[in-house]
Amino acid sequence: MPTARQQEFESLIAPHLSSLYSTALRMTHNQNDAEDLVQDTLYKAFRAFDQYQKNTNFRAWAFRILVNTYITAYRKAIRQPQKVSYDDLEEFYLYKKLDESISLQETAKEDFLENFFEDDVKDALENLPYQFRLVVLLCDVEGFSYNEIANIINTPLGTVMSRLYRGRKLLQRYLWSYAKKRGYVLNEKN
Amino acid sequence: MKKTNQKKYDCAEIEKRVQAYLDNHLSDEEILMIEDHLSYCLPCDKKVEFEQKLKEIIKLKAAEKEYPKALEDELKKIIRNR
Repeated sequence: MPTARQQEFESLIAPHLSSLYSTALRMTHNQNDAEDLVQDTLYKAFRAFDQYQKNTNFRAWAFRILVNTYITAYRKAIRQPQKVSYDDLEEFYLYKKLDESISLQETAKEDFLENFFEDDVKDALENLPYQFRLVVLLCDVEGFSYNEIANIINTPLGTVMSRLYRGRKLLQRYLWSYAKKRGYVLNEKN
Repeated sequence: MKKTNQKKYDCAEIEKRVQAYLDNHLSDEEILMIEDHLSYCLPCDKKVEFEQKLKEIIKLKAAEKEYPKALEDELKKIIRNR
């Protein structure tokens, strides 16, 4: 028979398996590694469960363990920062590109977004350098607030914001290049 | 408290704040200033709406709907074995 504590842990963490796995998959790029990462996270979280303070943000607590486990396991791989040029990262990149190249109607611009394949969006995310990817996933996919993210990745709020904003701009640039490759944008001028 | 000498935001200021605005990370005063601008500036309004839509699409398309059943078994094992 499981004890009350074991049951409590299980009932707290079970609803988050899907989002922990989802984040792990985007971070590790493959299913086996993602599964291993979540397993390690579950194991560590259960061992550390005594340190979890009742009625505080369990979801953020579990994600913090996931992120730490990821960073420890992938230390070597993430030590070499990817080189990215930030020179022409501007706000509303995708919108402006759509506007200047095909002058789509507003509804067509929304259809353009709807038409992205899931795999394109996932690929674009997975191509982001890992620090950017992590904050974009935590904010846009998992819906954490800036403060929660700062706590999860143990980084100052200002850094979270700058990574998030840059990450999203970079993501728009990747999405635009997928759109061109896939032929979503047909009559591009020039 | 009402500020009477409040300057209005221009388009550049909307651009600077759009992400924090969509993430609900601005003060009430900033939100009012932005929404005031959006109420009369159609180009900004369209862009902000597009960004909002993009954010929704990313959430919708990037979240995994399924996860391996093995994780549930693993969770039970971890809990029972200790």
